[in-house]
Formats: sequence, C-alpha cells, structure tokens
Amino acid sequence: MELSGPRWKGKNFAQIANSNPMSEIIAQLQVCLSNSESAALPIGTDFLLETVPELTKLLNRTSFGRQLTTSYDSKQYFQLSPEETFYLHHFLKCLKVSIDNAKLIDVNDLWNFMRNRSELFPIYYRAYVHLRSKNWIVKLGTKNGVDYVVYRHHPALVHSEYAVVVDWENDKGEKQSERLRVWSDLHCAVRACNGVAKAVLLLNVMGYEVNFSLPELLERTIVDERQITRWVPSQCRDDCKLEGNKGEHH
Amino acid sequence: MAQVIEKKGSLWVSTGVIRNSKLYCHIEEIGYLAQIGALVLFDEGDNVMGLKDIFTKCADRQYGCSWESFEAYRHLKSLGYIVGRQGQPWSLKHNKINPNSDSTVDTDLIAGRIEELQIGAANLIFDIHQPNSKFKKTDPGNPSFIICLVGDRPPSRKEVEDLEKKCKSVPLKFCHVSHDNVSFFSFPKVSLPVLP
Repeated sequence: MELSGPRWKGKNFAQIANSNPMSEIIAQLQVCLSNSESAALPIGTDFLLETVPELTKLLNRTSFGRQLTTSYDSKQYFQLSPEETFYLHHFLKCLKVSIDNAKLIDVNDLWNFMRNRSELFPIYYRAYVHLRSKNWIVKLGTKNGVDYVVYRHHPALVHSEYAVVVDWENDKGEKQSERLRVWSDLHCAVRACNGVAKAVLLLNVMGYEVNFSLPELLERTIVDERQITRWVPSQCRDDCKLEGNKGEHH
Repeated sequence: MAQVIEKKGSLWVSTGVIRNSKLYCHIEEIGYLAQIGALVLFDEGDNVMGLKDIFTKCADRQYGCSWESFEAYRHLKSLGYIVGRQGQPWSLKHNKINPNSDSTVDTDLIAGRIEELQIGAANLIFDIHQPNSKFKKTDPGNPSFIICLVGDRPPSRKEVEDLEKKCKSVPLKFCHVSHDNVSFFSFPKVSLPVLP
C-alpha cells in the first residue's frame, strides 16, 4: 500500500519526535548501560536484566525489551530478546551478559551460545542490525504474522509503518528459506498487514553462508529491501499509484 | 491469430494489432470478445467456431497464450485496461514487412511471439496501458506496467531483479491465476531512510 507518511498518534507528536532524535537517546542508553553493574542472564529463550530507575527509563525510551511489572519499586526487570541482547552487547557494546550468573561472557562465546540455540539467529540478527542501525525501533511482529514491526520513533508516539518479513539467500542468489514459498503466504502477509495500515517490507539477507563468523556475517551479507504490495485493478483505474488498499477484501 | 473482417464500435481503438493496414486479433482477444458476444469467429471453411473450440485454443499454449494468461487478459480487459502482448508493436506499417519475403516470416511478424508459454516459468505476457479513450495504436507511448505471469511459486528476489532488467524502467507486476482468482503483486525496491 502507498502510505502517506508516518501516522503520529497525537498532535505535536511529530515535533516531539523531531526534538528527541532516537540516536541521541540511544547514545544516553549506551553510557548508562556501560556504567551499570547489571548483567543480562538467560531466561528461557530470552534474557533477564535487572535495572534501576535511570536505566529503566532509557530502555523504555529506546524501546528495548519488555518491562516485567512487579510490585517492587527500587529495582525493575526487563526481558530482552536474543537479537536485542546481542545488539546491545555486540553492536552498541554496552550490555554485560553472564550465562551462569558468575563470570561475564565475551562476544565470541555469546555468539556461539546464540547460534547453538537457534540456527537462524545470525539471519535475524543481521536483519535486526540493518533496521536498528538506521535508528528505527524494532519490535517482534508475531501478532501481525510477520517477523518484526518497525516504528519511526517510540511506539507511544507513532504507529508502525512496516511489517517486516525476513528472507535469505546464498551468494548465488538462491533462496534458502521456506518463507513465502507459495502464493497464499504472500496473500496472508499482505492481507494481515494492510488490515492494520502497514506495508509489508521484505528484507532479504543476501550472500548468507551457514558457516559465517560474526564479522563475515556483517561484512559479506547485504540486506535487500523490497516492499510486497498487492495491486487490485478494480480499485484503481485512474493512473493513481495506489496499490492495494487498507482493509480491502478480495 | 485471426484477421478482423468487419468491425463495429470503439472497442477496436484498443483491441487488435495493425499489420499492413489490416487488423488482427490474438487468441485471447478473440476469446474475450467471443465470450461477451462481441465477436464471431469463422474457420477456414467459413463455419462459425463455438466457444468451446475458442477456449480450447486459448488454453493450447501454441498461440502464445495459456488459460492462465487468458484469465489475466479477461480480468484486466473487462476492467477497462488496454492490454497488449508484451513487446509487440500495436501497429506495423507496410514498408516494415518485406513484400518479397516468404509467408512464414510474414506470419511470424503478424502473429508475433509464437513460442510456447512455458509452464511454471515466469513469462512476461502483457503491456498494460491505463484506460484511455485517446489511445492510439500508432503512438501508444510506454506501457504503464508489464504483467509477468508466474506459476506455483512466487518469484525469488533474483528472479524479480532479472525480470526488472528486461522491463527496463517500466514497473512490473506479477500475476498469479488460480481457479477463480487473479491476483497481482509487485515487489518494488524501497530504501528505508536512516532516521536522525
């Protein structure tokens, strides 16, 4: 669908966002997290981080993780996804991680730890880096039937514009995943997302090899960005550029 | 391909191709018009061809058409779009055809792409122009977009890119036909901006 730009949730929210560039808030988070003694611990497939109010505020403002509500005031708890944990540890170099609650783990061991748990971790991490390094807010898109949803700024200020599906291929351009294998997969993604005014963004991690090291993953893959749009000819006949329609039913 | 002997009405402004000042129709155009009762087709023996025979020819794949491409044609044509075979000129003047060449070459030029539409492969099938009463076969301009018919599987990124190169700068839409449904998807390249 052709979006007419970001949908801000309130008057002046665009100005608020403009006055508070996400990159600056993230820089503040980096400083705060680097100075913190707290280390993230594995919990299920995610990671648990104990925080104090100043750090809590910054994690919330940059939309990393999910705060677990508790009845305690002095300490807060965040649940971080694997991509978020690794991004904060490896890319932003500010999060400490401990696997056994004793020793801190280094980036190579954490990389191996993540890879052992999920063979698709490198692909999703690559996509996550691609989006976050452009300063978009990235949240899991499970509820929308996609991998991620991305926001131009904090989700409290703006609706998400894109629902992201991640695909991947080797360096011969051969598709390696089972995503979007049949037409109903495309219909599904588009219908689900157009119904909530999101465009579907297809990120293709190109040149991926299973045995890549961490540096190779970032240096030797390229992320291709395409939109998946459905065109409904009966709805657009006057040389307009509308492709598909919010909430259309066919 | 059939030659139009007698025509009535403005639909011919954007249907059929002109070769040597004569008007010809491709099988999908014949199928569409016959189905709506706007055309009667005669065979060599001057017998009227029934819809069953015409539909069979549409599906035959020998005439640069398949049942799926016919469904796509019918869907778009009935909505008012101007639909031509991809890459084929709407009009060819007399002096572009050598009057001394053998008739097979002439037939090729008149009939255009005769090669079979391969099952399963992605085929560029139609050039589409927006509905336009001022459309001129002698000067159609660039198509608004090109339709690529795809089989069972959505195209991969590489396939999309390779096909886009063939279409040059004309937007490409991918068409999938299944039973009662004709859907169109496109995969335009975008560039997510770097935010402040």
